[in-house]
Amino acid sequence: MAEVVVKDLFKRFGTVVAVNHINFEVRDREFVVLLGPSGCGKTTTLRMIAGLEIPDEGRIKIGERDVTYLDPKDRNVGMVFERYALYPHLSVFENLAYPLRVRKWHLAEIKKRVNEVAEVLKIGELVERRPSQLSGGQMQRVAIGRAIIREASVFLMDEPISHLDAKLRSHMRGELKRLQREIQSTTVYVSHDQIEAMSMADRIAVLNFGEIQQFDPPERIFNLPSNRFVANFVGEPSMNFLLCSIRQDGKNVYVEGDGFRVAIEESWIKGSKAWEKGEDSLTLGIRPEHILLHPEEKRKEKNLIGGKIYVVEPLGTESIYDIEVGSKVVRARAITSQTRFLNSQMGHPAWLEFDPDRMYLFDSKTEETLAQARFAIMEEGTV
Amino acid sequence: MNPGMTHGMKQGASSPAIGIAKKESNWWVYLILGMVSFINTMPFLWLVLTAFKDRLTAFTVPPTWIFKPSIESFKVLIAFRRMHVFLFNSAIIAVSATVLSVSIGMFAAYALARFRFTGKDDLAFWILSNRMLPPVAVILPMFMIFQSLKLLDTHIGLIILYTGMQLPFVVWMLRGYFEDIPRQLEEAAMVDGDSWFGAFRKVTLPLVAPAIAATAIFVLILSWNEYAFALFLTGPNSKTLPPSVVTFMVERSVEWNQLGAACVFIAFPILIFVLLVQKHFIRGLTMGMMRERKQ
Repeated sequence: MAEVVVKDLFKRFGTVVAVNHINFEVRDREFVVLLGPSGCGKTTTLRMIAGLEIPDEGRIKIGERDVTYLDPKDRNVGMVFERYALYPHLSVFENLAYPLRVRKWHLAEIKKRVNEVAEVLKIGELVERRPSQLSGGQMQRVAIGRAIIREASVFLMDEPISHLDAKLRSHMRGELKRLQREIQSTTVYVSHDQIEAMSMADRIAVLNFGEIQQFDPPERIFNLPSNRFVANFVGEPSMNFLLCSIRQDGKNVYVEGDGFRVAIEESWIKGSKAWEKGEDSLTLGIRPEHILLHPEEKRKEKNLIGGKIYVVEPLGTESIYDIEVGSKVVRARAITSQTRFLNSQMGHPAWLEFDPDRMYLFDSKTEETLAQARFAIMEEGTV
Repeated sequence: MNPGMTHGMKQGASSPAIGIAKKESNWWVYLILGMVSFINTMPFLWLVLTAFKDRLTAFTVPPTWIFKPSIESFKVLIAFRRMHVFLFNSAIIAVSATVLSVSIGMFAAYALARFRFTGKDDLAFWILSNRMLPPVAVILPMFMIFQSLKLLDTHIGLIILYTGMQLPFVVWMLRGYFEDIPRQLEEAAMVDGDSWFGAFRKVTLPLVAPAIAATAIFVLILSWNEYAFALFLTGPNSKTLPPSVVTFMVERSVEWNQLGAACVFIAFPILIFVLLVQKHFIRGLTMGMMRERKQ
């Protein structure tokens, strides 16, 4: 195993810049997920590490070697492709043996090694079959087997489980993570699914427009997003964003916007970059699970925000409430049994409280995170 | 109308209809097929029969259907008309042209299917456009080119010409098949440690093999049967089968039994060959449809 260093990588296709001068390092035995929407450059980055694309600028190092311009075969990487890319004319055994045959192993050794890997992935009884006779999950295992069968320096995975059905996907997430721990591999994993990234990664690199937005462990990505894009991309349902400005009324400080006014503590906002900003140049961010719903009686004591129910999506234990506040729809997530008091008919009033410890303020123009509430600051010390 | 009655009527109307469909099968389809194949095979059958008649039986009017088969005409063809030499010429030229055009065309098709480069579509169209002129239109310039290159009446001349003629066909046939093979398969092989050529040879080529076989069969048939160029550009050293047959008709009267034997000479090698390889042929032609189900 080895570490991967990507330095100032740049790649364009025609006039489209796919990867725009990105830098990152994957430590030895680390599981890094490149996360982003389609077209953000994550797959191109992975393909450049694999040697399937040659960068226009920048260097890639695997271990001590500069591999920027090496052929894929000379890089010693293992790769799992999005659509598995199993050789349809070869049996599962031969698919797994392919990397070993290329390296001119003896048949006895190949058999031994294939059996070992088939054992680990629980596909022992499938080795005689052709890929067309396998289910999606089985093809997936064979593809992973082919990548891990030799001592590759790095494993590259390009959305390996995005074509599986939801249940199998969540099962494979656990499997992949266990496997990665077991074989202690350095892994670069590309995904557009934030749940995959959050659940498996040691660190996540969030990409957009060919640039890294933030490169941090999952908890930090979630709690301390560096900008509005990261805050929006990670978390389901995604964060609410409301245009707002800061008002001072004697001692009290408020953020105020269309249909809401929330008191906030001076401690985190004064002296932050948000303090100086003018009208509507700020965006308030709050995650759905940090919006609390209250019955009307509490209205007086808590200074709640009034809204109207728009749609309710019951998900079993939890429900998602779309509530009109001013001219915008705010999404809240709450435990169903605790919000029985709500009449979920469209147009009925609802009373909201934004958790004062969990608010974010973003610059409306640059989208940069300007300030965040106490909880997040506290977190920073612990992560 | 009461509901019970409606129900009864429906049943009465539908069950005989099903009965008819089952009983009658599709006899008329077989009748038509039978007629078509009769019309198709009769002339050919008559020709084959004539080939095995001796000179006298061949000219009886009305023609006889039952006779003592003779190989007289084949003997004449070989002894006096050197048909075996023409057969040999045809075989050499058609097989070489097929091997050459398929192996060159394969790479051209691969390049057109895989790589992005400027003018790709124009190039592909230019390749196709080479097939657009009828041979007769270019026979004179071809003759002059062959004359100045001293290729007239040589095997190599026709091999080059046929290779060139069939290349566009090969390229266009195979390009589509190569496009159907996911690029990821080659990429996987390269990441697995193979060179580009290794990936091409061990992964892509086996997958398009049926299509290549089908294309090769087509090209072989086309080259084997080519007439116009062969007539003008060959002579005693390199004459192929198709132009040789014509010579029987222009000299004196038509020797029907010899003409029949000559046609057997031309048709049978390719017929037997196609029968032998038809499994590949059909597999290759239907490959695109089979692929849909995978993955």
